[in-house]
Amino acid sequence: MTDAITIKNLTYSYPEQGQLFDNFSLSIQEGEWLSIVGHNGSGKSTLAKLILGLLDFDEGEIRVFGQKLQLETLAAIRSQVGMVFQNPDNQFVGATVADDVAFGLENRQVPSEEMPAMIEAALKQVGMAAYADREPHTLSGGQKQRVALASILALQPKVIILDEATAMLDPEGKQAVLQTLKQLKERYQSKLTLIMITHDMEEAALADRVAVIDDGRLVENEAPRALFLKGQELAALGLALPFAMALQKDLAIDQPVYRTKQELATWLSKLKA
Amino acid sequence: MNNLVIGQFVPGSGILYKLDPRTKILMTIAYVFLLVFANSWPTYLWSAAFLLMALVLTKQGLGLYWRGIKPILWLILFTVVLQLLFSGGTPVLFAFGPVKVTLPGLINAFYVVVRFVLIVLMSTILTITTPPTAIASAIESLLKPLKVVKVPVSELALMLSIALRFVPLLMGETDKIMKAQKSRGMSLSTGSLIKRAKAVVPLLVPLFVGALQRALDLANAMEVRGFESAEGRTRYRELSYSKADAWAFGAVLVFAFGFIALNFVS
Repeated sequence: MTDAITIKNLTYSYPEQGQLFDNFSLSIQEGEWLSIVGHNGSGKSTLAKLILGLLDFDEGEIRVFGQKLQLETLAAIRSQVGMVFQNPDNQFVGATVADDVAFGLENRQVPSEEMPAMIEAALKQVGMAAYADREPHTLSGGQKQRVALASILALQPKVIILDEATAMLDPEGKQAVLQTLKQLKERYQSKLTLIMITHDMEEAALADRVAVIDDGRLVENEAPRALFLKGQELAALGLALPFAMALQKDLAIDQPVYRTKQELATWLSKLKA
Repeated sequence: MNNLVIGQFVPGSGILYKLDPRTKILMTIAYVFLLVFANSWPTYLWSAAFLLMALVLTKQGLGLYWRGIKPILWLILFTVVLQLLFSGGTPVLFAFGPVKVTLPGLINAFYVVVRFVLIVLMSTILTITTPPTAIASAIESLLKPLKVVKVPVSELALMLSIALRFVPLLMGETDKIMKAQKSRGMSLSTGSLIKRAKAVVPLLVPLFVGALQRALDLANAMEVRGFESAEGRTRYRELSYSKADAWAFGAVLVFAFGFIALNFVS
C-alpha cells in the first residue's frame, strides 16, 4: 500500500500563541478512512490546513502521494486533495447549487460544454441533483454540506478532508452527510482516502483508524475497536466515549468488547433471555 | 427588508426572461438616458407605452410592481412638494403668504413623478427578470473593453457576484444579531437620536467581525478548489445573443426614433 499522505517531523507554531506541532509524524494510507479527533484547540483543524498548504509550517515535510508539499507543487497537490469546511455557508461560492459545483471546474478551465454533465454526475452522487437550480439560502445545512462534497467530487480528488463538516448540522443533516460519505467510500473503495476531523466519537467510529491529537501530539493511533476500550485514557484527553461504549462502562460489564449501538442492543437482548 | 422588490429576482416565464442580460442592461440604460430629455406630453406617453409593453412581456402581476414603487412613495412625494413650491413662474394658482403654487410648478411636479416612476419601473423590470449572477456576468462582458486600460474586469465581476450571493446571508445575520441584542435589553426605537445611533454600534461590530470571518473562510474554500486568478477561467454560463435580442434591440430603436421625433415636434 502506498501512502496517500505522509507527515514527517512537522513543526509548526501559531504566529502569536506559540508552538503547536513539534516533530509530529503521521501517515495515511491510500484508500483509508481516518478520523482525527481531539478536544477544541488540539490542532486537528490546523493540521488539515497545513496539508492543503493554507498555512506554512516551519520544519519537517508533508508529502501527498509522494509529492513534497511546497510552493511549486501546491496546485498539483490541491488538485488531488479536496476539503469540506465546517461552516456550510462560508464555502458556497456560486449563486446556485450548479454554479457552486461549476466554480472548481471553471478554475480548472474545463470547457463550458462539458460542465453540465460533470455537474449533474457530481450532484447525483450526493443525492442533490434535483436541487441544481436552488439558491444556497433555500437549502438546509446538511444539503449545503452535500453540495460542498459534490463540488469537490466534480474535481475527482483522491483524498477528501472533512474539517468538522457535520459540527454545525442538525442530527438529520448530519446523518445525511455521513450516509453520503459511506456511499462514496463504497463506490470508490481504495481510490478514495477520507480524512474526517471531528470531535464526535460516534462519527469517528465509522473510520478504519482513529488518530487522537492532544495539543499537537499524536497520543493514540489505532482502530476504533481497540481505542474505545480505553475509556479512562480518552476521558483524560477530554474525549467522550461513543454511546454504546459508555453504556457498557456504566453497566460495569466485565471484559467489555467494542460494540456499536446495534451490536450492543442485540447482545443485551440475548443476555436477558 | 425581505419584501423589497427593487433589486430582487423573481423567477418567471415571460419573453423578457429569455433575453440576454446584456440586452436588458443596455435597454434600461438607453431608456433612462432618453427619459432625461423628455419634455412634453407626447414623449412621456410614448415612454409610458414602451414601459407598459415591457411590463406585459414580463408576465408578472402588477401587484409586484406596485410593491416596487411603494417604498419610494415618500421620496416621490418629497420631490413633488419641492417642485410645487420652488418652481416659480406664472400664473400663480394659489398662494399662502410667501409660498406660491404656480401652473409651471404643477406641470413640472407631474412630469417629475411620471419620470421617476418610469425609471424605477424600468430598473425593477431589469432586476425582476435577471438573476444577480447574470447581471454580474453581463457587466463583465460589457466592460471587457476596459481590460485594455488594465481595469481588472474579471475580478470586479467575481467580487460583485460573491457580494450579491452574501446579501441574503448578511441580512439574516443582521436580523439574528438584532434579536440577540434586543433580548439583552437593547432598544433601537426609543431614546434620543444620539442614543439610538449609539445602539447601532453593538449591532455593527459583531456583523463586521462575522463578515470578516466569512471572508477568510471563503478565501480558503476558493483556494482549495483551485482558484488562482479570476483571469483565464472558463465559464459555466456563457452569454449568447439570440433572435429575441435582435427583436428587443429593434424595439428599442423604434422607441428611440419615435422619442426623438416627438421631442422635436413639441
